[in-house]
Amino acid sequence: MPSVQLDQTPRQRWQKVLYKKQPFADNYVDQSFLEKLRKNVHARKYLYWAVVFESGVMIQQLCSVCVFVVIWWYMDMGLLAPQWLFGAGLVSSLIGYVFFDAIDSGAGRNESGRTRWADLKSSVVFVAFTYGFSPVLKTLTESISTDTIYAMSAFMLLGHLIFYDYGANAAIVSSTLSLNMAIFASVCLASRLPRSLHAFVMVTFAIQIFALWPMLQKKLKAQTPHCYVVITFLSAVSALVGLLTISSVGAVLFALLLVSISCLCPYCLIRLQLFKNNIHGPWDEAEIKEDLSKFLM
Amino acid sequence: MACRRGGNHKHCLSTTSPSISNCHKLPSCSSRTHNICMVSDFFYPNMGGVESHIYQLSQCLIERGHKVIIITHAYEDRKGIRYLTNGLKVYYLPLRVMYNQSTATTLFHSMPLLRYIFVRERVTIVHAHSSFSAMAHDALFHAKTMQLRTVFTDHSLFGFADVSSVLTNKLLTVSLCDTNHIICVSYTSKENTVLRATLDPKIVSVIPNAVDPTDFTPDPSRRDNSTITIVVVSRLVYRKGIDLLSGIIPDLCQKYPNLHFIVGGEGPKRIVLEEVRERYQLHDRVRLLGALEHQDVRNVLVQGHIFLNTSLTEAFCMAIVEAASCGLQVVSTKVGGIPEVLPDNLIILCDPSVKSLCNGLEKAISHLKSGSLLSPEIIHSQVKTFYTWRNVAERTEKVYDRVAGEIVLPMGKRLDRLISHCGPVTGCIFALLSVISFLFLMFLRWLTPDYLIDAAIDATGPYGAWTQQYFRKKRETLNSNS
Amino acid sequence: MADEEGYLAVSGERITLQRRHHSASCREFLVRCPRLQLRSLSAVTCSVWLVAYGLFVLCQNSVVLSAAIFVTLIGLLVYLHFVKIDQESLLIVGSLGIQMTSSYASGKESTTFIEMNKVKDVVINEAIYMQKVIYYLCILLQDPVEPHVVSEVVPLFQSSKPRLDCLVEVYKSCQEILEQNKKS
Repeated sequence: MPSVQLDQTPRQRWQKVLYKKQPFADNYVDQSFLEKLRKNVHARKYLYWAVVFESGVMIQQLCSVCVFVVIWWYMDMGLLAPQWLFGAGLVSSLIGYVFFDAIDSGAGRNESGRTRWADLKSSVVFVAFTYGFSPVLKTLTESISTDTIYAMSAFMLLGHLIFYDYGANAAIVSSTLSLNMAIFASVCLASRLPRSLHAFVMVTFAIQIFALWPMLQKKLKAQTPHCYVVITFLSAVSALVGLLTISSVGAVLFALLLVSISCLCPYCLIRLQLFKNNIHGPWDEAEIKEDLSKFLM
Repeated sequence: MACRRGGNHKHCLSTTSPSISNCHKLPSCSSRTHNICMVSDFFYPNMGGVESHIYQLSQCLIERGHKVIIITHAYEDRKGIRYLTNGLKVYYLPLRVMYNQSTATTLFHSMPLLRYIFVRERVTIVHAHSSFSAMAHDALFHAKTMQLRTVFTDHSLFGFADVSSVLTNKLLTVSLCDTNHIICVSYTSKENTVLRATLDPKIVSVIPNAVDPTDFTPDPSRRDNSTITIVVVSRLVYRKGIDLLSGIIPDLCQKYPNLHFIVGGEGPKRIVLEEVRERYQLHDRVRLLGALEHQDVRNVLVQGHIFLNTSLTEAFCMAIVEAASCGLQVVSTKVGGIPEVLPDNLIILCDPSVKSLCNGLEKAISHLKSGSLLSPEIIHSQVKTFYTWRNVAERTEKVYDRVAGEIVLPMGKRLDRLISHCGPVTGCIFALLSVISFLFLMFLRWLTPDYLIDAAIDATGPYGAWTQQYFRKKRETLNSNS
Repeated sequence: MADEEGYLAVSGERITLQRRHHSASCREFLVRCPRLQLRSLSAVTCSVWLVAYGLFVLCQNSVVLSAAIFVTLIGLLVYLHFVKIDQESLLIVGSLGIQMTSSYASGKESTTFIEMNKVKDVVINEAIYMQKVIYYLCILLQDPVEPHVVSEVVPLFQSSKPRLDCLVEVYKSCQEILEQNKKS
């Protein structure tokens, strides 16, 4: 037994045990004190360009909101005919639809087992219903004052941005809530447009840009990162140009916001990461790593 | 007279009349005896590790000739002043309980009473227990304002990751930065406390908990040797790893048809065990006993062959020492201070996972079957030498002696320490609070000067009424013997 | 025979303890609190009237002033008659019992008598009172059914609250008489 050997040696070495009476004072501090201290075990090292790439999701979403508001403004001013917007939306949706399957060469579709026929059916049903209900949508919030509508839409779009699923694993993330808030904002804004056709097109466009477009983005990001970067860049440019035609100050501010999110924030994150001081040691509460629910199934 | 105690007149001063004459003589405090005041929110009738620690330690210190009083908060109708065995005086103060038996703290509302008690009992050392107890921290704060020596015992481990622990750790830093000495129950706990409160490790002593070995004696005749029985005694909460247990039970019960489990304790996770029992039809092999009284624990332990502890975090695990003292083979998770508690030949340490614990238990079972396990008597005789309360009291006394020789930081230095040690914001806030508490103390001293406070008659200590009776009785028995 | 000694109350007021030895088994203790002082009386009256005057200036209603006068007068009467106790006495007669009398400042007296066979013991006890921990003298009453059980505690000198040294004096005398009683 090791303890017996230690007893024989003239100078006893300190042991981290409580059951043995050791010739050391109770407040003795051994050299091995805090030996098992580990710092930043789970801390991740970030690469600057990787973080910039990841910030693309946020840029995209900001741009979507911006484009949506710009389009609405054009419609409200009468600069954009609803037929045109509907046509453009239909064409881009078809292109997106083809792309969606083409990117992973149908792997996703085979997995979900959903037929094209079902897709067509649901889209036709959706369009028909929205068209049928567009007069209702138009008059639904008519009695509410315009200022309230604007405040509410701004609030809802902000909420959409806050709760959107950017890929973080946090409690606040809720993609359903986020989508609902965006649609609610679009319904609010649609009621200020001149006719019910406008309202119908606006809501359809909202669905396209807030529900369908992120799905395509996610796939693009996973499969073809280069393409994704280009698309992010394009959407940023288009949002900026759109905004520029309305307000140059707004465009400058928006550009600054995009730059700070995509370049400045990653830099800050990486700098602050150096100050991370997360302490781990034997005192930590152990985590149960196994899945114990199988015993109760 | 809201706080006049009613209903409790078992121990009145009529029994102490012979020593009443010395109540005004201040005992000439030799360097060896101290007037110790233990403060904690946790004391009997509440049950738990801290409670029994305070009680046992106080009893042994009384035996060694110190004067000990205990201050805690009122438990339902138990308020006022009570005496326990050997004249251990307990003040149950009428303070409001906020959460989990811990009092609410405003840092000031408890000061008048605490100051009154410290003065009337002529306390020299304030010994606070448990970092969960708000009253303990309050008492430390006031004691430092009153220039009394302070000792703190930390009974628990804390992480560093979540927000709540960040805040509690900050409070601990403030509370301990000018405390004279800190006692931890294991080396791991010492490392943890030193890190949490950014302390100098030299002022932190390690004094383990103890177990009364006479309470936990083996009794192999109570075992049923036709089966193998695994005993688990713990509160059924997440931190005790009951989820792991719910994985182990079906796994092992399928492998060993003559394996039985006895689970003692109560808690929110009981439902999980009941579900497992229901699902695998183990009603005859898994017994859930519910909450156990302290005196029943031994009777449950001796029925088993193997003791299983699945805790996820533990500063010093009393349960495994109690089990080993009853002669059981202990299988435990390797977390916190547990590896320090028992020598390798008495414990099988496992990682906190179902697989590892099952392997550990299987090892223990195979030892049991092959008969290579130590006999309960041998285990008991080994364990009983490890942890005794007398030893704990002796080592705590050394801490008191050391502290008695130290100086309490005067106000100016205390403020400096707070600001330099606890960060600019927290430091300044608490420096301000300590200035306010100092002014409050001045006000209280003006309102009721110290000379108007009757010195309490000592129940314990060198001039204690109980002590003298005790010694007189001893002398009489000696005389009658000779 | 009677002797008088000065003591302090828990609050720091001066009180006097008068002991009268009527006979070997009959003693009386009188604790006298300081009388109501003109100074404190005028201070309270002045402050009430000042507050009333302040209110009067604010709301210009003379009812406040007359109300203040009534409040002071009635308050003083109530205080003298029901609150302020000038003197508390404890008469202990060995074979008979214990009589407690408290005299209010107005002259009202209230008396309680406890028979000796009900008295179990007289003890000094500790209690938490307001923000203080004080000693007080109390009589333990025996339960009529079970003689070992204390059924009630009657605190003594409740209003004067003498300090421990005073209580010890009273306590010792009481014990002497109780012992005599037990022997006989």
